[in-house]
Amino acid sequence: MRRTHNLKIGVSGIRGVVGEFLTPGLAAGFAQAFGTYVGGGRVVLGRDTRPSGEMVEHAVSCGLLAAGCEVIKVGVLPTPTIQVYVEATRSHGGIAITASHNPAEYNALKLFNHEGLFFNHYERGELLDLYHQSDFRHARNAEMRGVSSESEGPKRIHFERVLRHVDQEAIRKRRFRVALDGVNGAGSLLSVDFLANRLGCELHAISVDPTKPFPREAEPRPEVLGALSELVRDKGCDIGFAQDPDGDRLAIIDERGAALDNDDVLALAVDAVLARLPGDVAVNLTTSAAIDDLAERYGRKVWRSPVGEANVVERMRASGAVIGGEGANGGIIFPPVHYCRDSYTGMAFVLDRMAATGLTVSGLAASLPRYHRRSGKLQFEHGRLGPMIQRLEAAFQGGRIDRADGIKMSWPGRWFHLRASNTEPLLRLSVEAATEQEAAALFRAVREIAQS
Amino acid sequence: MIGRDPRASGLMIEQGVAAALMACGHDVINLGVVSTPVIQHAIRRLGAAGGISIGASHNSAEWNALKFFGRNGTYLSTAEASELLDIYHLRKFSFVPHTALGSVRREEGAIEAYLAELASAYDFPALAGFRVVVDCCNGTSSLILRRLNERFGFRFILINERLQGTQFAHAPSTNAATVGLQLSPLVEPLGADAGFLFDIDSDRVAIATERGEAVSEEMILPMLADHILPRSAAKIVITNVSSSSLLEEVAARHGGRVVRVPVGRQAAMDALASYRSEDLALAGEGTGAVMMSRFRFVYDGIASMLSILTMMAETGRKLSEIVASYPVYCMLKDEVAVIPKQIPSLLMELAQSYPDATPNTIDGLRLDWPDRWVHVRVSQTESLVRVIAEQKGQPPRDLFDAVLDRVRRLQ
Repeated sequence: MRRTHNLKIGVSGIRGVVGEFLTPGLAAGFAQAFGTYVGGGRVVLGRDTRPSGEMVEHAVSCGLLAAGCEVIKVGVLPTPTIQVYVEATRSHGGIAITASHNPAEYNALKLFNHEGLFFNHYERGELLDLYHQSDFRHARNAEMRGVSSESEGPKRIHFERVLRHVDQEAIRKRRFRVALDGVNGAGSLLSVDFLANRLGCELHAISVDPTKPFPREAEPRPEVLGALSELVRDKGCDIGFAQDPDGDRLAIIDERGAALDNDDVLALAVDAVLARLPGDVAVNLTTSAAIDDLAERYGRKVWRSPVGEANVVERMRASGAVIGGEGANGGIIFPPVHYCRDSYTGMAFVLDRMAATGLTVSGLAASLPRYHRRSGKLQFEHGRLGPMIQRLEAAFQGGRIDRADGIKMSWPGRWFHLRASNTEPLLRLSVEAATEQEAAALFRAVREIAQS
Repeated sequence: MIGRDPRASGLMIEQGVAAALMACGHDVINLGVVSTPVIQHAIRRLGAAGGISIGASHNSAEWNALKFFGRNGTYLSTAEASELLDIYHLRKFSFVPHTALGSVRREEGAIEAYLAELASAYDFPALAGFRVVVDCCNGTSSLILRRLNERFGFRFILINERLQGTQFAHAPSTNAATVGLQLSPLVEPLGADAGFLFDIDSDRVAIATERGEAVSEEMILPMLADHILPRSAAKIVITNVSSSSLLEEVAARHGGRVVRVPVGRQAAMDALASYRSEDLALAGEGTGAVMMSRFRFVYDGIASMLSILTMMAETGRKLSEIVASYPVYCMLKDEVAVIPKQIPSLLMELAQSYPDATPNTIDGLRLDWPDRWVHVRVSQTESLVRVIAEQKGQPPRDLFDAVLDRVRRLQ
């Protein structure tokens, strides 16, 4: 069977390579299904800086209007800013046109409900059914609503919500020297304003031109942040921040130019929040055990969920957690701002923690529980995951087993997690152990058994 | 180049059309709400590859439609239109990769540029003195007329001037009956020299005299031919087989020649393309849609109005006098629902039963006698046959009833 990887219409919405696959007709049809699902009314529409954003925006706007929705175009904005705005304006829903960390030729629709939250599993299923049945609301001429534009409001509301929770004056007083890599993404202009004007940093920014293409791989993995590391070292910066194209993910470079791994970024934010506020923590299954150790220091509980922002958010809401996120991808979720991954919350809290403790980033990171991690991709074939899980369960003894998302087996000080990707046709394997060697050995062993 | 009329659904369609054009690698120039002729002029002025007018012209508010224009702002020819349909049906579209997508730009100056062209084609100071009432029918003509008042000192009194998206003041058709609804009763009490009515996208016009008489829409083309032919070296007038024979009589006075083609804009475009442009004087329909060489061969109600005002200015005669100076031609029209497969035999029988008439079969059947004609035409959009008959001096009642009767017998 031939698999088409260039277009995926599924419970996570619609995602594909623009051109032959993600066409304006498809985007408009899906948007009309969405407009029908939210029952007409006001829908906030924004996008990242991908060159296809403008085309898809027009197609989506057409579909929403056809369903009788009123469209508020907020233009190029980070996804979290759009989500906050959906909730703050009591809109019926929102759509962010972004393929997030996927390469520039992709685009996708991120769909939000009236609370500005990702659709949960059931909502997504219902929407997909509606799309497949083409059971759309078709507004008649007299029911047609308009399109309006909003530029400053979303940013103002988002920043206010973030800055309320940190000591803005203390941060400003330190006049941190900060490097920024905006990947020429949706956050480019906002991040400059946020860091330089709101937080009084001495800012050295690269790739903050939203009209230019992504200068590096869209996902801010440590390996692709060479230019930012160099900038940190050249300018003697206290810290470097890197975003993804839609501003929900955050990566950090320490003052020596070394990239923190994403779990440490989340751990820093968790540490900062737990130091200020009461409440539990919720993270996905692939997130480091460092979070458990940290929570224990503060006497808090850690809740685990399957991978995916919507899953973590659901677990956070159910448990009333005060901070959460997904370690492996640098997403920090802080409910008082919004139940969404937000790089701005991350930046503010890390700077806040630096100001409060007087420590450097590397100093803060050194105080975190230390584990070593490895992760990788395995070829995916239908029907392979089940037998793999059975083999792994038989081969490894004595571990605690969690089957909520593939299989996770944990022992004191080490764990592995094998699961199917939500967005790509592959399996993801992550392991963690106390030492580099142990982690490498565990990774090899699991991969061998899985693929045998 | 895209633009739309004020229908509420226009915005939705505009967004979809813009997305589709960008996806095929085209940069889109969006003119917003403007008349169709303004779009056509902008295509030529800015060298666009083509254009789309989003609007349903003379249909009611809940309708919408796309009108397609080629590189010069002209309607597509039959061959081009059928090729476009083939591409649509094949669904093999040229979507470009993400790096080659187009973008949208708003263009605000299109109406101003169009006015500048009008100003160079017409003697505005000579026309601005007329007191004129205009029924805009809540369409795009008000955008142009308001500027003519503000910038060029015209004295248009506008009714139904506000753009409306969901309900027009009345059916937006340019015929004498619609003129009679609101416009013609106002002309005399307001002391105006003339009344004009435009459809929503302003490519058609209808008129009322200073005495409040609604003039038949069939008069527009012959009047403009009468005005243009004596001033032009070009002598060919293109129209369809359903419009009034007054045109032949008027054209003959000025050495003009009428070429009759099937009904529909594509047939007119095909005919325009098959004659040397310096020989073409004007083209039009009996609906009040006329295009003139003087103003770039675009169906344009505003330009037609300015030409009629020019006639009044140059002759010094009142509009009612000009209208009354033409012989009376009486036209009767009706339509009958039929079963399509019986149509060919009906047309054949009709032709045989009138051996003294000259038959023309380019569009259904038209039978001509020296002083009268009848046209039996098959609708392109419904299972209908339209019967139209015209005679000089008095209504061709007997001929019309006889033909109608034969058509009805087929039901």
